Amino acid sequence: MDGTNATEAPVEAPPQVVNGEQKDDAGFKLKFCTVCASNQNRSMEAHLRLSQANYPVISFGTGSLVRLPGPTITQPNVYQFNKTSYDSMYKELEAKDPRLYRANGLLNMLGRNRNVKWGPERWQDWQVGMPRTTHATDRGSEGTEGGFVDVVITCEERCWDAVVDDLLNRGSPLNRPVHVINVDIRDNHEEAAIGGSGILDLANSLNAAAREEREKVGAAAWDAGGAASRSSFDERVPEIIGEWQERWPHLPATWTLAWF
Amino acid sequence: MSTPVKLSTADQLKQLQQARGVVLKDPAYWSSVVAGILPIVGPQNDVELRRWGADFIAEAVATPAVPLRAREDVCMKALGTLRMLVEEQGLDTVVLKSVILAAASVYPLVVRWIAGNAHDRDSWESIQAIKTRILRIWEGAPPPLRICCIKFGQRVVLAQTASNGMDVKQSGLDVSLSIIPPNHPLLDPRQLEAEATGLLDRMLGILQDNSSDALLVDATLNTLSVLVRTRPTTSARILNTILNFNPLKLANSPMTPKTKVLVKSMEKTTRMLLIHLSKRDPHNPMTPRIQQYVERLMRSRSEIFDEANRKRAMPGPPDGTQAAVKRQKTGEPQVVARIIVPPLGPGTHSLAALFTLTDNLGLQGFDATAVPAALAARVSVTALASVPSELLGQAIAGIQNRMVELAAAAPIQPPPLNAETSPLDVEDDDDEYEPDFYAAEDTEQILNKLDNAPAEQPPVQEPETVNALATLGTFKLPPPPLLDPDVAARLSQGAVTRVFAPLPTLEDSSRKHKSGINRLAASSFDRDSWLTVIIRIATRGTAGLEDDASTIKEEDSSALTHKENPSLSNSIREALFRHVMEDFRRRIDVAVAWLCEEWYADQLAKRNLSEDNRSLHYERWAVKLLDGFLPYLTPQDKVLTRFLAEIPELSRELLGKVKDLCRDPATVSLAVTSLLYLVMMRPPARELALDTVGEIWVEYEDARPMASKYLAKWRPGFIESQAPGADGAVPVPKPIAA
Repeated sequence: MDGTNATEAPVEAPPQVVNGEQKDDAGFKLKFCTVCASNQNRSMEAHLRLSQANYPVISFGTGSLVRLPGPTITQPNVYQFNKTSYDSMYKELEAKDPRLYRANGLLNMLGRNRNVKWGPERWQDWQVGMPRTTHATDRGSEGTEGGFVDVVITCEERCWDAVVDDLLNRGSPLNRPVHVINVDIRDNHEEAAIGGSGILDLANSLNAAAREEREKVGAAAWDAGGAASRSSFDERVPEIIGEWQERWPHLPATWTLAWF
Repeated sequence: MSTPVKLSTADQLKQLQQARGVVLKDPAYWSSVVAGILPIVGPQNDVELRRWGADFIAEAVATPAVPLRAREDVCMKALGTLRMLVEEQGLDTVVLKSVILAAASVYPLVVRWIAGNAHDRDSWESIQAIKTRILRIWEGAPPPLRICCIKFGQRVVLAQTASNGMDVKQSGLDVSLSIIPPNHPLLDPRQLEAEATGLLDRMLGILQDNSSDALLVDATLNTLSVLVRTRPTTSARILNTILNFNPLKLANSPMTPKTKVLVKSMEKTTRMLLIHLSKRDPHNPMTPRIQQYVERLMRSRSEIFDEANRKRAMPGPPDGTQAAVKRQKTGEPQVVARIIVPPLGPGTHSLAALFTLTDNLGLQGFDATAVPAALAARVSVTALASVPSELLGQAIAGIQNRMVELAAAAPIQPPPLNAETSPLDVEDDDDEYEPDFYAAEDTEQILNKLDNAPAEQPPVQEPETVNALATLGTFKLPPPPLLDPDVAARLSQGAVTRVFAPLPTLEDSSRKHKSGINRLAASSFDRDSWLTVIIRIATRGTAGLEDDASTIKEEDSSALTHKENPSLSNSIREALFRHVMEDFRRRIDVAVAWLCEEWYADQLAKRNLSEDNRSLHYERWAVKLLDGFLPYLTPQDKVLTRFLAEIPELSRELLGKVKDLCRDPATVSLAVTSLLYLVMMRPPARELALDTVGEIWVEYEDARPMASKYLAKWRPGFIESQAPGADGAVPVPKPIAA
C-alpha cells in the first residue's frame, strides 16, 4: 500500500494490481465505513474487500472491548480499542498457543488485519470530521482523510443500533447526511467472507447509482421534475438495498438516513 | 491561492486536493485556504470544480478540527459566496445540496456573531436572504434536497428556541435564544422563536402527513433527538407528533423488496429515536406512553414481517384450508373445508415429511427451525386457537393413517446412529459477540475418529451399510429402556434435586414486604418466592392424588414403616426437611412456612375428602422437624420457642417431645420457658402447655424447681394435688379443666 495523500484521482499512477486487487477507475467514489462488534472479523473482512476495490473505507467496532476467543469460552482474550495493534495481538497469541490460534483461524485473521490497518478502532471514540491524516498507511485511507463517510455498513443489528443511537446522541453537529445500513452477518470466518462479498456488491450498486447522479449536471433534476427527479442517489438507496436483498436473501438488511 | 485557468479540470482537482491535504494536516490554514477556494465555485467554472468547492466549503464551516472562533471567521468569509450560490437560478443539484448543508452549519455561528456584533447588518441580511431562499426551495424540491432543507430548518429551530442548558458545546449546537442580549437591534427573541415554531411545524409536517417517503421520514426523525433533549419548548410537540405517526402505514400496500426496506427502515428509525429518548430521560412523564408505543410498534412489526416472510405456520394446502381459516376468523365457523391428507408414497420419508400437510413446495422447504422458539410457540398457540376442531381432527386422522401405513410397510431398520458422528450439526444459536471460530470437523477428521474409536461401536450390518450410506434412510431413535419403579423413583429424585438447585444462587429478598394478607405469595424471583413455590408443589401439587400409595402403606405398615411413600410430594418434603436441617437456626422460618402450608392442606383434605381416603401430613412432619433439631439445641437457642409459637397447631405428641428435653438438665430451662411462652402468648394452647409443664414436674426431678414456679402461678393447686402420688412417678397426665 502506498501512502500517498492524493485522493480520488490518481490518474497517472494507477496502484499496482495485486492479489484480489481491482484496477482503480478513478471515477467518483462513495466513502464507506464498516462496523462490527470488535473491528476484527466481519468489519475487517469488508474493509479489506472494499479497499481492494479501491473504495475509500474505514472501519470500527461498537463493543466496549475487543474480545477474541480464548482457550475456553470463559477465558476470552480481551484488548483495549485504539490501544492495541493487530500486530501485537498476533504476536501475543502466537506466543501463547500457536496451535490453538492457528487452528481456530485467529492468527490468520489477525495476520490479514495487520496488513489492513494498525489496530481496532472504537466507533464511539471516533470524532467524525477530524482529519485522519495519521492513518495514511491504512488500506482504503485514500479519500477518507476528511474523517467522514457517505455510507456506514454495520454487520450486526445491535451494531446498527449502537451506531444510530450514538449519532442521535452526538446531535448531528456536522450537518452531513449518512446512510447507515445493517447487513446481518454471523460472526465466523466463512460467513464473514460471504458477507464481505455481499457488502462489496452493495457498495458497487450504491456507487453506480451515485455516479449516475453526478453525471446529471445541472438543476434539471428538480426544475424539470417528473420521472428524472426520481432517480437521485439518496432516493434510490432503499430500492438498491431491496434489489440487493433479493440477491443476498441470507444477509438481512436494515437502513436509515442519519446525520453526522 | 489562485488556480491557473489553463489547467484541465482533473489537474485542477488534483491541485485542490493537495491544498485540502495541507489544511487537514494543519488546521491553521483553513481560513486562508477557504478564501482562496471561494472563487472556484463561481458560475464560470466547470461543474466538477464547483461541486468540489461547495463540498469543501461545507466541510470547512463544519470541521471540528478548527476552534469555533476561527470557524466563525471562515463562516463570515463564506457567507457572501453561499448567498450568491443559493440565489443562482438552475444551480447544479449536487452543488446546491452542499450549499444548503453549509448554510446549516453557518447559521448558528452567524446568529452568535450577530448577537455580539449588532452593527453587522450586512451579514444578518445575507443570512436572512439565504434562509428565505432555502425555505422557498424546501417546498418543491426533490427529496435529496428536501432532507438538506430539513436539516437547515433543524439548525434554525435549535438556534432560535430557549435551551435547557444541556447542550453539547460543539459546532454551534449550543447557540440558542439564551445568548441574545436584551434589546438587540437586529434579533428579536419573540420573533425568532415564532419563526422557529413555524419551522418546527413544517419539519414535523412530514410525520403528521404520515408520509411514506422513508428518506424524508428518517432524515426528519434523525434530526429530532437533540431538539427534544435540549429545547424543552419543542419536546412535547415533537413527541406527540411521533407518537401519532404510524411508520407501518406502507405495510398495507403490496410488499415489494423496496417497500419492505422502507417499512422496516421507518419503523426501526422511529423505534430507535424513542428508545434513545426514553433512555436519556427516564423520568419524563411521556416515558410510559413512549414505552407503550414502542411495544405496540414491535408487535405490529413482527406480525407484519413474520406473516409476510414466514407465510403461515399452520399446515394446510394453500388454497382450501387457508380460505377456511379466514372464514372461520370472520365469524362463520360452520363452513369448514375438508382437508385432504395425501398418503405418503412408497420409499423412505423424513420425519418432517410425515407431518407435512401442504403440497406447496415452497412451504415444504421452509425450515421451521429458523423461527425463534418463542415466536414459534406464539404462532402455534394462535394457530391452534383459530383452527376449527373438525379440521384439526381430520389432519390428525390423516397423519395417523400415514403412520399406520408406514408401520404396515415394515420399515427397513436403519443402521443405528453412530454416537461419534451425531453431534455434527453445529448448534445454530450464537447471538454472542464471541465469534465461533471452531470449524465443524471435516470428513477426514471424522473418519480418523472412527478409526480410533474403541470397540463399543454399534453392530453394523455389513451388507446394508453400503445401501444405507447411499440412501440415507429415516432415522428412528431406539426405544428408551423400560422404566421400573426404582429407576423412576431415582429419576424423580433427580428432578427434585434440580428443583432445589437454584436456591443457593437466588438472592435473599432484599426488603421485607409488609403488604399483609393481600400480597402474592411468589411474585418475584428471589429465594423466598422460590421456596414458596417448592412448598406449594409439595403440599398442594399432588394433594388428594396420593391416596392409593398411602393405603398400601397402611395395609402392611409394619413392613414399610421406614419406607417413605415415594410420591413426588414426599420426595420434595424430604428434600425440604434436609434443606431446613442443614441450617435450622436460620431456616426456621422456612420450616414454619412449610408447616403452615401443610396444615392448610390438611384442613382442606379434612373438609373435602373422606376419612379413609385422605392422608394428612402436618403432624407427621412437625414431629419430624422437631425431632430433627431437638438434639442439637443449646440452652441459648431461641429457635424452639419461635418454632412452637409460630407453627399453626400444637399437639400433645409435639409437646411430649419438648418435655423430653428436660432429660438434659442444661436444656430444662429452655423447654420450660418455651412452654411458658406458649402459656402466655398462645391462649388456645395454654392448657396443653400447662399439662406438659405438669408432666415435667411429675417426671423430672431436676426440673421441679422451675416447673413448680410457673405452675404455682398458672395452675395453683396442682403441685399440692400431685404431692401425695408424686413419688409413685405416675406419668399419666391429668387433664385438669379441659
